[in-house]
Amino acid sequence: MTARKIALLVLIVGFAATVETAWHVRGDVKIGPEGCRVMGGRFYGPSWAFEAAAERAVAAGKAPRLEVENAFGEVSVVAGAPGAVKVRLRKVVFQPTEEKARAFAERIELRLTGDGERVRVGTNRDEIGRRDETGFETHFEIEAPPETVVEIRNEHGRVELSGVAAADVAASFDGVSIERVAGMVKLEARHGDVGVHGIGGALELNSRHGSVSVSGVTGASRLDVQHGNLEVLRSAGLEVDLAHGELEAESIGGDFVVRGQHAPVRGFDVVGRAHVETSFGDVRLERVGGELYARVQHGGVTGSDVTGGANIEVTHDGVTLERVAGPVEAVVQHGGVEARGLARGARIRVSGSDVTLDGFSGPIDLEVDRGSARLAPGSPLDGEIVARSTHGDVRLEVPEGSRFELEAESVRGRVDAPLEGLTAEDEGHRGQRASGRHAGGGVSVRLKADGDVILESRPVRSRDAWAVAPPRTGGKPTAEAPAVARSPTPKATPRPTPLPAPPAEAPAATPRPPQATPDRTSTKR
Amino acid sequence: MSRPAFSPEGVTFGVCLVTLGVLGTLANLGRVELLPLLRTWWPLALVLWGVLELVDLWVRRSSRGEVVK
Repeated sequence: MTARKIALLVLIVGFAATVETAWHVRGDVKIGPEGCRVMGGRFYGPSWAFEAAAERAVAAGKAPRLEVENAFGEVSVVAGAPGAVKVRLRKVVFQPTEEKARAFAERIELRLTGDGERVRVGTNRDEIGRRDETGFETHFEIEAPPETVVEIRNEHGRVELSGVAAADVAASFDGVSIERVAGMVKLEARHGDVGVHGIGGALELNSRHGSVSVSGVTGASRLDVQHGNLEVLRSAGLEVDLAHGELEAESIGGDFVVRGQHAPVRGFDVVGRAHVETSFGDVRLERVGGELYARVQHGGVTGSDVTGGANIEVTHDGVTLERVAGPVEAVVQHGGVEARGLARGARIRVSGSDVTLDGFSGPIDLEVDRGSARLAPGSPLDGEIVARSTHGDVRLEVPEGSRFELEAESVRGRVDAPLEGLTAEDEGHRGQRASGRHAGGGVSVRLKADGDVILESRPVRSRDAWAVAPPRTGGKPTAEAPAVARSPTPKATPRPTPLPAPPAEAPAATPRPPQATPDRTSTKR
Repeated sequence: MSRPAFSPEGVTFGVCLVTLGVLGTLANLGRVELLPLLRTWWPLALVLWGVLELVDLWVRRSSRGEVVK
C-alpha cells in the first residue's frame, strides 16, 4: 500500500470521526437548535412566519393587570380599546422548508389565560422548545385598555410599551422603549439601550450594559446604571447610581443626587440641591436652586449660579465656581480654586496650586499650600479675611471704601501695603511685617505668606455682575405629552392597525422566503 | 513497468472534494442540512474508493495478460 493510499484512508476516517463527533456533541450539549444558528441571542437561517391572534375581555371600569412572558421575540404593548386585551402572535420558525416550518408552527400555541382582572399572555415554548431543538421566535403585538397595569418579562427581544397605566418590565438581551405611561414604571434591563419618555409617576430603573435616555418624568426617578451613558431631561427629583458611564441631566424639578464611579457628571437647571459623589470624571453643575455638594476623586468641579451654598472636596484637579449665593467650603488636593462672585464668603483649603477669589463678599478663611492666593473682593470688605500661603504669595485687592485692621507677615519676602494707616517693619534680614488701621479700622484682615504679601487699592464693582441666575424650569412633563429627548430612541413605537375579531387560534401562513445567505443575514428584522 | 490507467485514490479524493463543495453550497442555500447528510453518507467514499481499486486491479491484470500473449 502506498503512502498516498494510507494518507487518504486516514483523511476519510478522520473526516468521518469529525462528523460523528460533531453530531454527538451537538446532540448532547445542545449548543443550538437544528436548522439554524444562534449568535448573539438571535437565530440565523431560513425562516418562515405564521400568525395567530386572540383576545380576552376584561372588566370595564377596573384596572386590569396584563402579564406577558416571552423568551425569543419582540413584545409590543400599546393602548387599545377599553374592555378587551387583543393579542397578535407572529411565529417565526427556522426550518429549511415551509412544510417543516408550518408543521412546527402549528404546535406553537398562543396562550391567553386569566380572568377579567388579570390576563396572562405567553406560549408553550417551555414544552416544545428544548425537546424539538428547532429555533423559533414569538413576537407579540398587544393592545390593552389604557388603564391596564402591564408586567413584561422578555429575554431575547426588544420591548416596546406605550399608553398604559403602569409598567413593570424586565428585559435581558435587547433594548426597551417605554412611552406615555400614566403611573409608576419599574424597569430592569440587562443588555440593550433603554428609552423612557413621558412617565406620569415615579421611575425605578436598573440598567446594565447599554445607554439610557429618560425624559418627561413627573415623579421622582431612581436610576441605577452601569456600563452605559445616561441622559435625563425633565424629571422631578433624580437619584442616580452610575458606574462607567457619563451622566447629563437637565431640568430636574427636585434634588439631584448622584453616586458615581468612573463617571463624569453634568447637571443643568436643578431646582433642588445637587449632591454628587464620583471619581475619574469631571463634574459640571449650572443653575442649582439649592446647595451644591460634591466629592470628586481625580476630577474637577465646575459650578455656576448656585442659589445655596457649596461644599466641595476634590482631588487631583481644580474647582471653578461662579456666582454662588451661599457660603462656600472647599478642600482641594493637588488642584487649585478659581472663583468669581461668591456672595457669602468661603472657607478654602488648597494644596498644590493657586487660588483666585474674584468679586466676593463676606468672610474668607483661606489656606494654600504650595501655591499663591489672589483675593479681589467686589465690594468694600464686610467680613474677616484670613489668608495663609506656604511657598507662595498673597495678594489682596482692597475696594475703595473698605475699613479694616491689618496684620500682614511675609516670612521670606516683602509686605507691600501702600494704603493709608498701614506701616511696615522689617523682620531681621528676611521677611517683613505690616499692621495698622485703614480708614479708621473695621473688619480684621490677617495675611501671611512665605513669599510676598501685597495690598493694593481698586475701585468698587457692581454687585449685578455676580447676580445668581435661578434654574430655568421647562414645561412640566406629563404622561400625555412626553418631552422629546435630544437623543433619538432606537426605534419608533409601532402603531399596529386595529385587529379584527379572530378565532381563538387561526394560523395564517405568511411564508417568508428562505434567506439566500443565512450566514450573513438575520431573518429577524 | 506499465503505467496505471488512473489513480483510484486520486479519483476518490477529487470526487469527495467536489461532493463536499456541492453539499456545502446547497447547505448555505438552505436546501439541505449538511451535518446529518454527511453523517449518513460518508461511507460511500470508502465504497467508491474500493470499487475504483477493484477496477484498477482488473485493468492491470488485463493489461498484463495482453503483454504475456
